[in-house]
Amino acid sequence: MRALLVCVMCVACLAGAAPAIAQEGHPLKGSWIGTWTPNKIHGNDVLLVLNWDGKSITGTINPGTDNMPIKNAALNPEGWTVHLEADAKDKSGNVLTYVLDGKIENLAFANSTITGTWKNQKENGTFKIGRQ
Amino acid sequence: MTRRWPARASISAAAGLLLASVTLTAHHEILAKFDDHKPITLNGSVTLVDWRNPHVHVFMNVRSGSQTDNWAIELESPIDLEQSGWSRDTLHPGDGVVVDGMAARDGSHQAWGRSVVVSATGRQVLNVSLTPPPMPLRPRPTPTWPDGQPRLGPAPGGIEGYWAYPSAPALVENGIVAPTDDWGLLRNITDAPKVAPLQPWALGLYVERQRRFLRDDPMYLNCKPPGGPRQFQLSAGVQFVEDRVRKRMFVLLGSGNSNYRIIYLDGREHVGQVGGDDDNPLYYGRAVGRWEGATLVVDTQGFNEDFWFTNGGLPHTSQLRLIERFTRENFDTLKYEVTIEDPGAYTRSWSSGGTLRWVADRELPRHICQENRS
Repeated sequence: MRALLVCVMCVACLAGAAPAIAQEGHPLKGSWIGTWTPNKIHGNDVLLVLNWDGKSITGTINPGTDNMPIKNAALNPEGWTVHLEADAKDKSGNVLTYVLDGKIENLAFANSTITGTWKNQKENGTFKIGRQ
Repeated sequence: MTRRWPARASISAAAGLLLASVTLTAHHEILAKFDDHKPITLNGSVTLVDWRNPHVHVFMNVRSGSQTDNWAIELESPIDLEQSGWSRDTLHPGDGVVVDGMAARDGSHQAWGRSVVVSATGRQVLNVSLTPPPMPLRPRPTPTWPDGQPRLGPAPGGIEGYWAYPSAPALVENGIVAPTDDWGLLRNITDAPKVAPLQPWALGLYVERQRRFLRDDPMYLNCKPPGGPRQFQLSAGVQFVEDRVRKRMFVLLGSGNSNYRIIYLDGREHVGQVGGDDDNPLYYGRAVGRWEGATLVVDTQGFNEDFWFTNGGLPHTSQLRLIERFTRENFDTLKYEVTIEDPGAYTRSWSSGGTLRWVADRELPRHICQENRS
């Protein structure tokens, strides 16, 4: 019993002593990593790099070879809903427009996440990304 | 076989757990942890006085029917209590006390102690007055250097002193009435849109922080520096150290993580003033200043977004630029004015400010946040 209590105390202390570091500015600014599934064309892993210049949200999805510049983005503080649109190409070179709609969870924490749905002309699914 | 824990061991374990949880929360907004709608009166005997930063705790046994519970009573910091004349010997285990305060929001056996009265004597103890000392009947003149420039530190030959007792505990736009407590928590959340010309996202974030009773404040959670106007809003005060040979001013903090801000007075430009890290925004930004008559005007840019720049949690972005004006109106009063430009978070520039009082003959308090002693 004593060992169990000591264990519980240690875990409680460690949990409290592991402070996460938050970016305290615009809630979308930063890098977000996670998955959008099932995505057969661009893979299940997704990375978003978002910025805020004071007027608009800019950024890219999957920066790199499959770089998709965000062409339309919105954040609604009422409910912290997020809307993102970006164009990509499928393997045949046809334009695919991705539309992501989600909601920021744990806004106040360093480990905030965005969960929601995504779709393009050929596929759709759900996504979850976490702030780095 | 079941072994029963001795009562003393159980109390010690409970106290240990409580202590672990309270010390990790640091010197926080009181209402983040305690509910002012839950008044509580506890009558019992002291079991332990834990005299340590960031908050003193008095543990006491309280009988309820046939049961005895050990409560943790949270009080102000040792520095605040010692400056009010109290010490670790004010109370001893076994002393009977009556505590009035407010209970913890989580329902645990913790309370904030508004009043502690020794049962045997009726004497109120461990109370703190945060009101500034009375002003002299006739204002004392502003101390100056031989060239006539005002001194922001002690008078020539004077002993220590620092600035504290901010008249404005949080930023609120000039001309707006939006009362807050000492941590910047609005008395009325509906005042939030009036506080500053916030962009919609920034207003939403500010309201979110306020509704969470500022419990996510990175200055307390992560010892993040209080950059921007916040360094002049803290109860532990600030001290100006003027290096006239090297033409710079150091602003030392009495709390937080005990680091400092540098204001360069040598005429340098913003760009390139900090070698090699022009792309590395700072908690205190890059500050250059100049004297305009009796006022020190400081222009600061280059902030990062990893901290709250004011009590109360008004958001900012890396586009933040501050124009601060420091005027020592007389020996005991420092006027602080600030204009905030941040097109990333606000719809226009806006101004705020307040005054600080000179605390004479005392060293700047030394709270060390990294040791959870904010």
